[in-house]
Amino acid sequence: MAVLESDICIIGGGISAAMLAQKLLELRPSASINVVEAGRRLFDLEHRMRYRRRSLIYGENAWPGDFIEDQKAAGVISRTMAVGGSALHWGGTCNRFSEEDLRLKSKYGLYVDWPIEWKELEHFYCEAERRLGVSGEPSPLPEDWRSEPYPMSAMVLTHNLIELKKWGEKTGIPFWSTPQAKNTRPYDGRAQCIRCNTCAICPTGARYSPDFTYKQLLTHKNVQLYDRTLVRQLVLDRNKTRVAVARAVHRDRPEETIEFRAPLFVVAAGYTWSSHLLLLSRNTDFPNGLANRSGLVGRYMCGHAFTTAQIELDAKIYPGMNETHALISRQFFRCKPGDPYIRHDLRIWESAAGREPRLRNKDGEILLGDDLLGDWRKRSQRGAARVRGYYDVHPDRDSALTLDESTRNKWGDPLPKIEHKLDAATLSRQAGTRQHFHDLFERLAKNDNGKVLNISEGNYLDHPAGGCRMGNDPTASVCDSFGRTHDHENLFVVGSPTLPNAGCTNGTLTFVALTLRSAEKIAAEVRKA
Amino acid sequence: MFLRARAPGEIFSAGELAALEGLALIVLPSSLGSGGSKNVADEFSMYVRDYRAGADTEHGYGVTRVAPKPQSPARRYAEQLRALPSPLTPAGVQQALAQAGVKELPRLPDGKNVIVDLMTFYFRSGEANDLCYRAAIERNKCRGLAGSDHPPAALQEPF
Repeated sequence: MAVLESDICIIGGGISAAMLAQKLLELRPSASINVVEAGRRLFDLEHRMRYRRRSLIYGENAWPGDFIEDQKAAGVISRTMAVGGSALHWGGTCNRFSEEDLRLKSKYGLYVDWPIEWKELEHFYCEAERRLGVSGEPSPLPEDWRSEPYPMSAMVLTHNLIELKKWGEKTGIPFWSTPQAKNTRPYDGRAQCIRCNTCAICPTGARYSPDFTYKQLLTHKNVQLYDRTLVRQLVLDRNKTRVAVARAVHRDRPEETIEFRAPLFVVAAGYTWSSHLLLLSRNTDFPNGLANRSGLVGRYMCGHAFTTAQIELDAKIYPGMNETHALISRQFFRCKPGDPYIRHDLRIWESAAGREPRLRNKDGEILLGDDLLGDWRKRSQRGAARVRGYYDVHPDRDSALTLDESTRNKWGDPLPKIEHKLDAATLSRQAGTRQHFHDLFERLAKNDNGKVLNISEGNYLDHPAGGCRMGNDPTASVCDSFGRTHDHENLFVVGSPTLPNAGCTNGTLTFVALTLRSAEKIAAEVRKA
Repeated sequence: MFLRARAPGEIFSAGELAALEGLALIVLPSSLGSGGSKNVADEFSMYVRDYRAGADTEHGYGVTRVAPKPQSPARRYAEQLRALPSPLTPAGVQQALAQAGVKELPRLPDGKNVIVDLMTFYFRSGEANDLCYRAAIERNKCRGLAGSDHPPAALQEPF
């Protein structure tokens, strides 16, 4: 059995772990940090143009080897398990939540408040934007105040988005460039974006991914990365509530147990595997899993719902100019107390809906060559927009990640199963929410001879989070606002699992901001230890 | 597309390759000319040659099992090319597609039918998108940010 000791042991190797390790190294340069990740490291920027090409032509996975075959789960999970996590192939969208997301109970009488002040979180949003390298333009709404400018100027709006902005704003709703972790100039040793239109696999490194941070971290002798190493259980000190050991196995040496020992442990394994590890770590004193005296580990799994419309309009749109960039409006982030509760973002992308080449015309006749091209051109005279709103929904206590005893990995550990469930108040609002979006899409379509082609409702909760929600009350939460678990003084959880609710826009920037705040508390604990 | 600089492999026999080129002349836009159609047929051959059966495919949220690419379509394509009517006419191609029950162009060639896969290979490409819009959008290229706030340059005729 191998025993590996450090001052801090971080379990998980995604974006939160990367940001945490980076900041801890700055705050406590003499502290040793072990990062343990079940997946492999993919430090292969030089191959990404080839991966991109094969993804485009063949539909192959642009991140080969980014998953573990038998480490799967049921429900809305990402299969990606690799150093960098899901943020290897994220779109780079870096929206902030709003103060309302943190004050649902006190403003609206709904769900819960967060145990953190907006003004404090805003400070860490700025830091997250600096570290990730976010390009953006400030919101014109005064409620969206910022204490610092974006690190980089916004991504240029393509001709398509300029046209769609003019169209969208005829409703009186302001739209602007969506902030993204994409370089509009060389930044932090990475290149400027060259508009490859495939941000899920950025071949140049212009879109931030955590592998760059890990490569920098590993130049420091105090940071060690143990990849392909699956932590199966956290073990407590005898007769104490302190975590003593993270017991792991290397995927290539399954017969050998590895013990990671440290005064401080941080679980940074995302919304699926963080709760899963805590539940797997059950023992006689904690029969329901570690950090779970409240019974809330794996509960209140959250995400936001979404509705999408395809709208055609009189505008010259050239599909493919930059399909991964969008317009955003935060006009609907706020809701007056007393009004029907609905909060959402609003996004507009260029679209080719209804303008794809087709084999058969509307009469079912087969088209070849010039006939097919002619049919395609005829249908492409007008432009199209994809309009989406991510809207705020709140989880029920039974929105849960549980251990599925019927499905196990090769080591015999039960795998997770996620079943999202909305709370009663959210369900009671569904009809009104649906009508709101229909009215909004029709309002947009009134301009430029628009026509709503179709409306679809998402059948899952996007940008999932939760499972170890933060709070001040140990009976109603798993950890405090810094991620320190209520039950174990030396065990923290950071990033997406700690969110009580998932807001109404992409969550990654919030995961990182909260993690950076936790890092200061954890650094202070290192000093004490 | 992406494969232009490379030579065709030995995937198809001379007769099958000739059938593929004849098919391309019928199912692709005439503005490509015979040279352009032949280039697309060659690129399609190279696409088949470089196909990797068993490669992992894209996976998103909720994907329980990552699906591998199915077996190479080369043998099926070759059989279908040999079975094309001679002489090959647009009506013959339409009849073959009707008999195969093909309804639409898939997002990517799916290996089921060589006619529809050749059409998909071309009509889903950035080049075809440019031809449709008569503009150098260059969807699948890395093009830089400069100038993207203007409409893409018009293609030179003939198109």
